[in-house]
Amino acid sequence: MVKESHKVIEESLIREVAAILSKDPGLIEPEMPLHEMGVDSLGFVELLVVIEKKFKIKLMESGLTRNDFRTIRSLSEKIGALG
Amino acid sequence: MISLPYSRNKRYLTGVDWIVHVLNYMTIKETGAGFMSQIVIEVSGNVNPPEIENALNSFINKHAVVNGYFSRDINLAPYWKIPPVKKLKITLDTVILKEDDSFDAVLKNLEIGINTLFKNKREHIAFHVLTGCGRSYIAMTFDHLLFDARNAEAFLSMFQKEWESGEASGGMAITEPAHLSMWMDKFKAGQRVNRAFIKIAGKASPRVLPLPLGKKVFRFRVLSFGGKETEAIAENAFNKAGYLMLMPYALAASVCALHGIFKGRGISSGDYVIPVSIDTRKQEEVRGDLFFNHVSFFIFKAEASAASDFQALLKSIKEQMYAQVRSDLPGDICKATFLMRIAPASLLGSLLKLYFKGEIASFCFSYVGKTAYASPSFMGNKITNIFHMPRTPVPPGIGIFFQQSNEKLNVILSYLDGMLSKDEEEIILTSLKSRLGVE
Repeated sequence: MVKESHKVIEESLIREVAAILSKDPGLIEPEMPLHEMGVDSLGFVELLVVIEKKFKIKLMESGLTRNDFRTIRSLSEKIGALG
Repeated sequence: MISLPYSRNKRYLTGVDWIVHVLNYMTIKETGAGFMSQIVIEVSGNVNPPEIENALNSFINKHAVVNGYFSRDINLAPYWKIPPVKKLKITLDTVILKEDDSFDAVLKNLEIGINTLFKNKREHIAFHVLTGCGRSYIAMTFDHLLFDARNAEAFLSMFQKEWESGEASGGMAITEPAHLSMWMDKFKAGQRVNRAFIKIAGKASPRVLPLPLGKKVFRFRVLSFGGKETEAIAENAFNKAGYLMLMPYALAASVCALHGIFKGRGISSGDYVIPVSIDTRKQEEVRGDLFFNHVSFFIFKAEASAASDFQALLKSIKEQMYAQVRSDLPGDICKATFLMRIAPASLLGSLLKLYFKGEIASFCFSYVGKTAYASPSFMGNKITNIFHMPRTPVPPGIGIFFQQSNEKLNVILSYLDGMLSKDEEEIILTSLKSRLGVE
């Protein structure tokens, strides 16, 4: 059940990152670091805003530690744990 | 909804394009030359200037838009008049480098290019080639009326692609509607921008350095960090500001660096107001629309009382960035500026100063990530760096610009001659290096 919930979050984040980068969602790898995909400061903040609107979680004040935010997968797990 | 026919000879200006025209007007008024920038491609080996000139002439002759000029339509919407294609000849100056020419000497030569006025209202690009002793610099001075920084890179990238393949990239549709509809949407965006600006402006005018009298040229300093240093800077930013927070980290470092100068001069009134230009397009979209300006702005305020506390400054910048993305201030600026196109540049220049009590900003800043120039070489020579030398709008006449070229990070200090002493220049660069963690 928990795993399924993470999967839904992950798929949602893949769509958002794809929209931010103007890429096909099929090309977004959940384990690839966001900075290697081409996400920059602005794109990342856009993603955090989407997360706040969608999941009601404000992550900007959380310290943005790399381990939690580096990939879509780790970010999904963080959101799942907080949600 | 009013629909207007598109014309191949007419490209309507967006609101942001018009703001660029206003900044150009203000900068010409203060310095005699406009809001121009220069992209410099540094390559290894010597280059052949006549060969470059011929190739560029042949390429530019396919793009009549570079020979265009501003005009107003019968409905008052400003547009870029694209003249019929005719034989154009670019301006290309050549300087032969000597063995003992330092990078400072190279920079002095490049400064001549960026401080030289265009010949007439139809010239918006000029080239300068410095070559000799196994290294070369190909500089394209460009008018911001025609290109933003990323577009200038993409334009040269397209030139390189054509040169490599020997095939033309194909026709490019340069169209933009007049945007004479959805007025309520624009008015509402205008209201939100107005409220945001009033809130940022506060009661006192921003902290500014006085503009020098009688000095009309820009000076530049360039810090280029190699691959390992650039990685170290990103690492420091991730650790101190948070993952991917390079832009806020670089801005906080810049505020701290300039704060030292203001303190040293005893300038203590007002807070720092910093407009930050951002690209409104994704990397993939740049190739589709090479001309004009596709940018918007964040406006940050840094309280002078907190400017010595780096962590507090970082926190404040990150919060402001988040709030401005959340409220879509950059999007609202794009919409609201459509309303301003009716105002002549002279009037709009004065109106912009009203918000900030006669000033515009403390300094300008931008952080441009990945370069839009795709090839590792320029006409067969291996590229070792690409950096920009922008003339900062006047006022404020000073700016700090971060820009990445492959693995290299460049930091450019641009200021009107006379605004900083040599010692102050050094203090800023030393402080920046120290804050970025690469002393």
